[in-house]
Amino acid sequence: MPFFLRIITAFVLGFLMTTTGVHAADVRPTITVGTQEVGLSAGYMLPHRLTQDHTTKQEGPAFMPSWMITITDPMGDSWYRGQVSVGAEMVYIQFQEPFLTHGLGFTPKIKYSFTALDRIRPYAEFAGGPFWTDLAGKIPEESSRFNFVLTAGFGVSYFLTDRAALNVGYRFHHISNAGTSYPNIGLNASLPFGGFSFFF
Amino acid sequence: MSQIFSRPLIGSVLAMTLGLGTACSHSIELAAPTDTIPSTNTIVATDARVPLLLETIRVTHNGSSVPPPAILERQILGAIEATRLFSQHYQSGYQQPEANQARVTVRLSIDNLVEPHAGQAAWRGFLVSASMFTLAPFISLNYDFGAQMSLEMERWDGQTKQYTATSNGSAHYNLFGANPEIIEQLKGQVTEACLSSLLNQVIQDSAFYLASHAQSQDHPIRTVSVGIRHSTPHAIPISQPIAGASPR
Repeated sequence: MPFFLRIITAFVLGFLMTTTGVHAADVRPTITVGTQEVGLSAGYMLPHRLTQDHTTKQEGPAFMPSWMITITDPMGDSWYRGQVSVGAEMVYIQFQEPFLTHGLGFTPKIKYSFTALDRIRPYAEFAGGPFWTDLAGKIPEESSRFNFVLTAGFGVSYFLTDRAALNVGYRFHHISNAGTSYPNIGLNASLPFGGFSFFF
Repeated sequence: MSQIFSRPLIGSVLAMTLGLGTACSHSIELAAPTDTIPSTNTIVATDARVPLLLETIRVTHNGSSVPPPAILERQILGAIEATRLFSQHYQSGYQQPEANQARVTVRLSIDNLVEPHAGQAAWRGFLVSASMFTLAPFISLNYDFGAQMSLEMERWDGQTKQYTATSNGSAHYNLFGANPEIIEQLKGQVTEACLSSLLNQVIQDSAFYLASHAQSQDHPIRTVSVGIRHSTPHAIPISQPIAGASPR
């Protein structure tokens, strides 16, 4: 855990040093069709045992570099005014419990960002894709190393400049193999996270 | 044996290269102009030209008023200046022509209609990402932009003429070809086409905007060719002073 905190601190400090300046009053991000976003998020996975068959308390840090592209101009005229982005994300999870194992996935992603508040932009996101982990086979819930990961969550982007934002949020994580082998009870977890994005 | 494996490998690499290349493509289509007036050039006497004052530019964006971007003001003034129909060009808020000087006052109204097909883009974007981006080369996204311009030109004696022009265009692009510059190009091309159509109508009425001057014996007749300057670079014909006359 101290190592994980050091990594997060280094990311945040590095991000603050690379932003050109923080202007409190005149930050009005102009995200239009074709604007691309690269980001890095990190969080800590906390297990949910939803049924009596779930016994594993898998947990550990997660790192999620991502790329997205905005495909709509802001839609709507009320509080729900926002725009859609699609993209992809790599997810790496280092399971520290119950065994030191690893997971790596690639997930296409779709996000709806609420733009009514200018520099504070809440968003909802959904992602899903293949996920490999060597934790499977060592626990009763999953037998196959080849799995899928599905995540849904929400967050808030706070724009420090019109091209850089800090993000915090929450995701619900589900890992299972879509019935390709048994047992396939699935692993569920919460993933609070923080990170940053650059827009260009 | 290695050849058997290398063929699918080479094929896959070629397919991915082709797919990514196609997925980055984009195109812009401009609708045929609504007016059928052919582009015209005419010769006018230099001394008969009067200054022009661009008084107001009103811009609406899907019906909502927006402040005219500075780049648009420059584009409009530049296009008018390029016609050479007027001797000097002034913009409201800057240096003004003298009060007693004959001038033409211009008021321009631009109604922009933007149809980004947001719902369609969101749905198609979802399909593309759900397919792990393999459908990106085959699913295109669209963005439509239209401009309707209304130009009022008032002569120094209070007589006015109205001109209108409409232009439409569409950008078609694939997911990886999406780029803010494509949308800006589309808007720029539509605006330029509309402006050209409008100014072409003004050129038809060149005589209306010229002050009549009695030609003095001491003054040679100097003329200038006025017309629409298209973005394609070409030489601008300017007629020469009458041979033997000495300009003052």
